[in-house]
Amino acid sequence: MQMFPKQEVVAMLLAGGQGSRLGVLTKKLAKPAVPFGGKYRIIDFPLSNCVNSGIEAVGILTQYQPLILNEYIGNGQPWDLDGMHSGVNCLSPYQAIKGADWYSGTANAIYQNINYIERYDPDYVVILSGDHIYKMDYNKMLEYHKAKNAACTIAVIDVPLEEASRFGILNTYEDGKIYEFDEKPAHPKSTNASMGIYIFSWAELHKYLTEDAELENSSHDFGKDVLPAMLNAGERMFAYPFEGYWKDVGTIDSLWEANMDLLDPKVTLDLKDIYSRNPMMPPHYVSPDANIQNSLVADGCNVEGDLEFSILFSGVTVGKGATVNSSIIMPGAVIEEGANVQFAIVAENTVIGKGAKVGQRPEEVANRDNWGIAVIGENTVIPENAVIKAKEMIDSEVNAQ
Amino acid sequence: MRSNDVLGFIFAGTLDDKIPELAASRTTASIPIGGKYRLIDFVLSNMSNSGINNVGIVAKSNFLSLTDHVGSGGAYDLSKRRSNLTLLTPYGGKSFSNYVETIYNMHGYIEHCREEYVMLSPGNIVTNFDYTDLFDFHSAHDADITVVYKKGVIPEGYDRPITVDVDSDGKVKQIFIKPENTHEELNQVFGSILIKKSLLMDEIRLALSLNSLDIKRLLQDCVGKFKVYAFENKGYTAAISSINSYFNFNMDLMKKEVRDELFNPKRPIYTKVRDDAPSRYGLNSKVKNSIIAQGCVIDGEVENCVISKGVYVGEGAKLSNCIVMQDTKIGKDTKLNYVIIDKDVTIKDERSLMGFDSYPIYIAKKSVV
Repeated sequence: MQMFPKQEVVAMLLAGGQGSRLGVLTKKLAKPAVPFGGKYRIIDFPLSNCVNSGIEAVGILTQYQPLILNEYIGNGQPWDLDGMHSGVNCLSPYQAIKGADWYSGTANAIYQNINYIERYDPDYVVILSGDHIYKMDYNKMLEYHKAKNAACTIAVIDVPLEEASRFGILNTYEDGKIYEFDEKPAHPKSTNASMGIYIFSWAELHKYLTEDAELENSSHDFGKDVLPAMLNAGERMFAYPFEGYWKDVGTIDSLWEANMDLLDPKVTLDLKDIYSRNPMMPPHYVSPDANIQNSLVADGCNVEGDLEFSILFSGVTVGKGATVNSSIIMPGAVIEEGANVQFAIVAENTVIGKGAKVGQRPEEVANRDNWGIAVIGENTVIPENAVIKAKEMIDSEVNAQ
Repeated sequence: MRSNDVLGFIFAGTLDDKIPELAASRTTASIPIGGKYRLIDFVLSNMSNSGINNVGIVAKSNFLSLTDHVGSGGAYDLSKRRSNLTLLTPYGGKSFSNYVETIYNMHGYIEHCREEYVMLSPGNIVTNFDYTDLFDFHSAHDADITVVYKKGVIPEGYDRPITVDVDSDGKVKQIFIKPENTHEELNQVFGSILIKKSLLMDEIRLALSLNSLDIKRLLQDCVGKFKVYAFENKGYTAAISSINSYFNFNMDLMKKEVRDELFNPKRPIYTKVRDDAPSRYGLNSKVKNSIIAQGCVIDGEVENCVISKGVYVGEGAKLSNCIVMQDTKIGKDTKLNYVIIDKDVTIKDERSLMGFDSYPIYIAKKSVV
C-alpha cells in the first residue's frame, strides 16, 4: 500500500447537488461551478478557505454534471492543492465488488469515500458545501472543536429572528453545547443558523457513518440522519459562532444579491486571497464612449457602452450605446449595440442582440410578485430588439421555440 | 523541420543601456508593459505557441525580477517533462560583455540540449509571431541561416541597426550595419536568427580564434559563405528601445487593430498569474479610452492611460496619458499628465505632475511624491 504522510485534517467538499433552484444556470454544470464575482466560481471560496486554513487534502464529491467542475479543478494548482502527497481530488461515485451506487445522500457520499479519508490517517474531518460565499479560517473552528473536546462542531451564524425560520436552527446551552436541532422552525428559539460547515473527530464520524449505512430507512443525510443520531447518543456537539459575511447562493435571487454585495462598500467581504483559475486575457479596454460607475470589470472585457451596478466577467463585450444596469454578465457574453440589460443574469457566451431589452426594473412591473431577476442561460442568442421580461428564464432550447 | 527541434535562446538584456530608467533595477525583458505583462512574455508566448519546448534566457545582470517573473516557465507551459525554461547567468568569472563571448560561454548548455537548431531572439520586441511560418520558410529554401526582418524606420535607440537587402525569393543579397539612410523604410533585423546549432558554434569558435567579437560583422560575413535568407514579419511589431518607444507602444494598445492582433485568442500571450480581483469602479469614476488591468480601484478620472494591476486611483484624481505600473497608489485630487509611474509608487493627495508627449516624466519604483 502506498504510504501517505498523515494529515491532521482532511476536508470533504460536497459538490454533487444539482442546484435545481438556479434553473438554467445549472443545466450543464454543478452548482459549485457557477461563476461568481467577476472571475471566480463558487467553489473557489471553500477551496481558498481550506488552503488559507492550512488544510492540504481536499476531496470534492461530484455527481451531477461534473465535466466543467472536474476540468476547472484540474490538478488543483491554482489553489496550491497540487502537492506531491496531498492536494485536491474529485471523487465521483464508482463501481465496486458489491455493486455500484450513486451518492444517495450527503453522508453516503462520505461513507463511500472512507478509503480516501483513511489514506491520510486524519484526526479530524471537515465537511463543507459548495454553495456558500464566505471567508473563514477553519483552523480557528478546529481550535474551538479541540478546546471543547467535541465529537462534532457546527459553524453557526447569527441571523435576524424574522428570517430564522428559513434556516436549520441550533439550540444550545450557554457554553455552546447543542441540545436540539430545529429544522426551519415556525417559532425559532434562537437565531443560530447552521452554515453547513461541520468538523468531526474522525473516529466518531467513522462510527456513525458506518452505523447509518446499515440503516435501511435512513436517507443517509448529515442534517436528517447522522447529526440527530449523534445527538441522541449523547455525543458532545458544539456550535461555533462565526462572524463575518456568509451567504447561501442557492437561488437566483441570493446569487444576484451576493454578487451585488461585492459592489456595496458596507459589505465586509473582500476578495483578497481568494484563488481561482485565471483565463489568459489582456487587461480590459474602456472606450471613449463608455461610462462605468460602481461596477466590477475583469480582464479581457471591451466596454463601449454604459455600465452601472454591474459585474462583468472575463472577455465580455458591451457595445456602443448598450446599457447594463444591476446585472451580472458571465464570461464571453456579448451585449450588442444599443441593447439594454437590467436586473439580469446573462450566462456564459450568450449574445444579447442589438436593441434587445432584457430584464426590468422593479418599478416597471405593476404586480411586484411578478418581478424578479431575468436569467439567460449559456450559449443563447437573443435576437435583435427582442424583449425579455423580468423573472423570465431563457436558454437556448426555450429560445428556439 | 519540427518546432520541437528548435532551441529558443533569448537575450534578456537587449539595449538595457538605452532605457536606463526602466532597466535600472531589471533586465529589459522584465520591464512591465501593457498593464499586466513583462516584455519577455511576448517572445516566450510566441515560442511556446509555436511548439518550441526548450528555452534558455541569458541574463547577465539585474535578473532578480526576471527570475521572479518567469519562474520555472509553468505560466508559458514550458515546465513539463519534455519542456524546460532555463535561466543562463554569468558564471566562473567569464566575460559576458559581447554576444560572441556570451554564446561561446553558453556552449555547454547549447550543445547539451537535444535540439538541432537554435532560434536566437532579442528580449525587447513586442509582436505576436508564429515561428512555424519561419521554420517552414527555412526548410523550403534549404537555408543555413534565416533572419527575421521588419520593414520600417529605424527606432530611436538603435545605434548600429542591422538591415538587409533581399531578392524576390527572400535570399539576402547584402547585410548593412548602421546604414546611412535611416529615415527611409528599411528591412531591419532586430536579432531573431534561426541557425543550426553546429553551424552557430563553429562560426562563434572561428570568430573567437580571430579575436573578432562583433556578432554583427560575423553575420555580415556569413552572407558570402552560407545560404542566408530573410523572412518578413508582417505583423505589428514594437521594439522597446527608449523611454519614448515604451510610451508609444503602451499608447498603441488603445487601437483596436493592435489589441486584436497582439492578443489573438488562438495564440494567447501568457504571463505570471496573480490572483487579483476584478477591477472596481467607484461611484464617481470616469474612465475613457484606457487599458485597465485587474485588482485596481478607480475612484477618479482616467483618460488615455494604461493602468496596471493593483493600482488605486483616488477620488478627484485626473490622469491623462499616463502609464501606471502595478500596486501604485495615486492620491485624491492629483493631476497627472504624460507621466510614467513605476511599481509601488505613492503619489500623495493633491500632487500635480506634467510631462509632454515627446518627453514623458518618469517616477522611479517605490518613490513617494
